[in-house]
Amino acid sequence: MYEFDWSSIPGALPFLWEGMKVSLEITACAVLFGIAWGTLLAMARLAAIKPLTWLAAGYVNLFRAIPLVMVLLWFFLIVPQVLRGVFNLSATTDVRLASALVGFALFEAAYYSEIIRAGIQSVPKGQVAAAAALGMTYAQAMRLVVLPQAFRNMVPLLLTQAIVLFQDTSLVYVSALADFFGVAYKVGDRDGRLVELLLFAGAVYFLICFAASQAVRHYQKKLNAHGAH
Amino acid sequence: MISIQNVSKHYGTFQVLTDCSTEVNKGEVIVVCGPSGSGKSTLIKCVNGLEPFQSGTITVDGVSVGDPKTNLSKLRSRVGMVFQHFELFPHMSITDNLTIAQVKVLGRSKDEATDKGLKLLDRVGLKAHAAKFPGQLSGGQQQRVAIARALAMDPICMLFDEPTSALDPEMINEVLDVMVELAQEGMTMMCVTHEMGFARKVANRIVFMDQGQIVEDDAKDAFFGNPRSERARQFLAKILTH
Repeated sequence: MYEFDWSSIPGALPFLWEGMKVSLEITACAVLFGIAWGTLLAMARLAAIKPLTWLAAGYVNLFRAIPLVMVLLWFFLIVPQVLRGVFNLSATTDVRLASALVGFALFEAAYYSEIIRAGIQSVPKGQVAAAAALGMTYAQAMRLVVLPQAFRNMVPLLLTQAIVLFQDTSLVYVSALADFFGVAYKVGDRDGRLVELLLFAGAVYFLICFAASQAVRHYQKKLNAHGAH
Repeated sequence: MISIQNVSKHYGTFQVLTDCSTEVNKGEVIVVCGPSGSGKSTLIKCVNGLEPFQSGTITVDGVSVGDPKTNLSKLRSRVGMVFQHFELFPHMSITDNLTIAQVKVLGRSKDEATDKGLKLLDRVGLKAHAAKFPGQLSGGQQQRVAIARALAMDPICMLFDEPTSALDPEMINEVLDVMVELAQEGMTMMCVTHEMGFARKVANRIVFMDQGQIVEDDAKDAFFGNPRSERARQFLAKILTH
């Protein structure tokens, strides 16, 4: 019978906390960038200009059909080489981590764009007509009338996606980035207590994500109760 | 003011409008009626370019709507429109609904826009509701706000697309009262509506449409007294007996 020994965890807490900060930073970056880029993609996909629609649809379908871990590896291993070649960067400039982060955000944007597209489509067409009839340009109608309503409808879905994204950040361990999962793994490996550390890390992920899901559910109930406006 | 000349429109092979022509002169009130699916809503949406059309010309105050060089947003900012489903912006207060386009489209100051908006809100009898949101108002109240919102842009003419069709019967009159008052003040109006009482009271002419064509375009008395076409007669018989 395996004997658990949790003694290496208390000492590792400062490292783990540093790792958690990295995980949260990656999550925040990817959420912000994902929503911004995802909004543009969604608008491109709904635009009247056909080539723009095709480009956006191609992008979204491509990223949704590739495993995230592969995208991360490409951006960690291949893209930096290409960048170095193109921009003539010196060998000492390490762009691998930044590149992996960009890859992560680009990947998540594909998922966000689908949520946002559904959100935009949930706003009745008459709202766009009313905005246009008041003399607003398409951009004004989007910015002032459609997107605020779309985002309000989408908040629960966007938050749920953020929780998924937070879990996905654990995949950046392939890029040698010291996130929470990566740190837990390293500490466990160092002390020969991998099982304990991974169980502990799992419990932390579970607690955070479960609590966040409950908060989203609570918020959604409140939103539904207010329904009409 | 509004001139519609030989306008045709089709979705694929389905002909929605066929060779429609009519005029709305300054200060005139024109009521467009006809059975559902006759193309009257489509026609009125062509007037401010919300619906494109394939042939013919529409000019509003001398500006051609179908001309690709026309700045449609600018033209629309001068043409008020009221929709069947009100289309107030649900995420904004009534005051913001009344001011947003004045500020963002016409470039008025916030104070000036609020002043103007509240004056018009008072005029439609809803001053006390300025801070509320659309969802807190009844359908009739929302439609009156929508009329005030359109008037706040100082439009040269007003388009009404079935403004009372989505309302409960007891709310129809409060909206029609506002429209009658507007007509009596000399506003140029084109109204798609089934409210024949309204038409009798203030319309100069009645345009009767069926299957995408303008079947009759007559002075009010001639239309109600002795419609020339059989289809208009049938329509009136149906709509007036109830």
